[in-house]
Amino acid sequence: MFKVFAFLKRNTHLLSHDEYRAGHVGYHCGQSRRLKNIRGYLVNVWSNTPIEERLGKQWHDALSIHPPNDFINWWDGFPEVFFDHREDWVTATTLEPTRATADGLVIDPDWSLSDGPQLFNPVADRPGEFQPCHLRMHEHVIRPVLRAEQKTFKLMQFFKLKQPEAEPNVSAAAQQLLSDYAPIISRWHNCNGAILNFRDSNREAAMDDFYKPDSWGHSPEGLAHRAAFCDYFDGAIEYHFHTPTAFLATRAADQARLRALEEAHFSSCWYVEVDENLVVMPNRNPAPNFYFR
Amino acid sequence: MLKVFGFVKRNPRLTHDDYRAGHVGYHNSFGRRLNNIRGYLLNVASNTPVTASLGTDLVMRLTRNEPEDFDTQWDGWGQLMFDTLEDYLAARTPARDYPGLNGLQMDPMVGKVGDDFNELYAGSPFQFHVDETISQPVVRPERKLFKLVQFGQRPADMPLALFRAYWTGRYAQLARTLPGLRGLVINFRTPLDVMTHFFAPDSEGFTPDGVKRREHFYAQWDGMAEYWFDCAGDFAHARNSSAFALLDELEKTLFDRVFYREVDETVAVLPKRDPAPEFYHR
Repeated sequence: MFKVFAFLKRNTHLLSHDEYRAGHVGYHCGQSRRLKNIRGYLVNVWSNTPIEERLGKQWHDALSIHPPNDFINWWDGFPEVFFDHREDWVTATTLEPTRATADGLVIDPDWSLSDGPQLFNPVADRPGEFQPCHLRMHEHVIRPVLRAEQKTFKLMQFFKLKQPEAEPNVSAAAQQLLSDYAPIISRWHNCNGAILNFRDSNREAAMDDFYKPDSWGHSPEGLAHRAAFCDYFDGAIEYHFHTPTAFLATRAADQARLRALEEAHFSSCWYVEVDENLVVMPNRNPAPNFYFR
Repeated sequence: MLKVFGFVKRNPRLTHDDYRAGHVGYHNSFGRRLNNIRGYLLNVASNTPVTASLGTDLVMRLTRNEPEDFDTQWDGWGQLMFDTLEDYLAARTPARDYPGLNGLQMDPMVGKVGDDFNELYAGSPFQFHVDETISQPVVRPERKLFKLVQFGQRPADMPLALFRAYWTGRYAQLARTLPGLRGLVINFRTPLDVMTHFFAPDSEGFTPDGVKRREHFYAQWDGMAEYWFDCAGDFAHARNSSAFALLDELEKTLFDRVFYREVDETVAVLPKRDPAPEFYHR
């Protein structure tokens, strides 16, 4: 699938973090869930509970390697969107009829993503624009995600590989991670899902042809912003558990082996708890031949 | 939880697939924003007849006294979940979830659920409360599941309490072991009024014809079981095996009427049965 993580900082002049949640998950997703041919859509918002508090300082320190201090200052949330092909992604804002009216099914004339600059970090000298940081991710499903009818405890483990590679999705370091680290995770029976994502080495892979060439995202400032953010990490693992306790108990059993591998592979790694909002259940089966979300 | 079903018939201006797009697309985009909603599923009648999914022989064996006009009365149904009746009745108010020029603002269109009822539906939804029994908690993988619904009606001389006890008892204890089952929830329609104060007083559902239309639909079944499988073959294979022959025997006395429909489920809001967090979450 063509998978995109879109890291977005809220408009701090207008919204608190919790107001951003409501605006993004509420109105904004009411529009964007209708993107054409979207196959999955999750919105992850960093938790109000600090990770040190959630895991306990001792565990937090035992699980982290040189965690950056300012990482969550760069974003408030990141949607994960899934499409079958890049072509579907870059044409996703093509409108299609989804509204019943007196004239039958029509294109919704009120459909709009124009709330972007109010919701996200605006660009001072570019009215109507905000600062997107959309990154293509290459995923490896270590344990398929299973969602019970409750809020999942979701952890993101961001990591930077010790040997920066030109193409981390196919690099030797990445392959090593898949061959020695991932198999341990794959045996975690209490884990309700684990997906290893490598960031595409092309930082523009999800930006090109989705945003106009003259937009802020393609400006020198936009390119520099994305480069600086991408410098933090090469990939991230998504973990789903029922509770933090379940995660820690599971991790504890493999802590020594995993820590050794992390020290071997990562120059830095750290965790961020996110509140996952399911907007469109990812459907990894072939799409049906009718409108489906 | 308070669980409310709303069966709807599409507006005749729409084809069934047009209706899908209008309900799953525009309408659900507002419904998922209803204040304090804890779960929202939409089930649309499959384009594939259940005889094609499960096989004619099996469906004929399992079906009894199916009403002839059942499918003409609905195209889909929404399932709304709230913590309380008060939350449900208060849901149709403006939502403060629109990022405007002055910060987060109210959007009155949420309370109107997109204001498309008259264009999407033919008449009011058949909206009713159900009392659910979770025989097997639903766990959804990241793919479209085969969802099958079993509609059942008790024999005239069987008290509702016994009907419920029998269906959720020995029958469900065996049914929940069907190989490949991802979830089994049995729902019983209750007389709790969930239409007054939710729909406008002049809605078709409150007219004599609307009441008659709804009561006719309700007269055709008392309860409905939701089954989730990876594929139709899981159910068909199990029900054709001798290991589950007892289900056939139990159905002879449990149901005066029983029939099945496949639906395409949209998870507009993943149901959350744990306490709600103190922030906006869907």
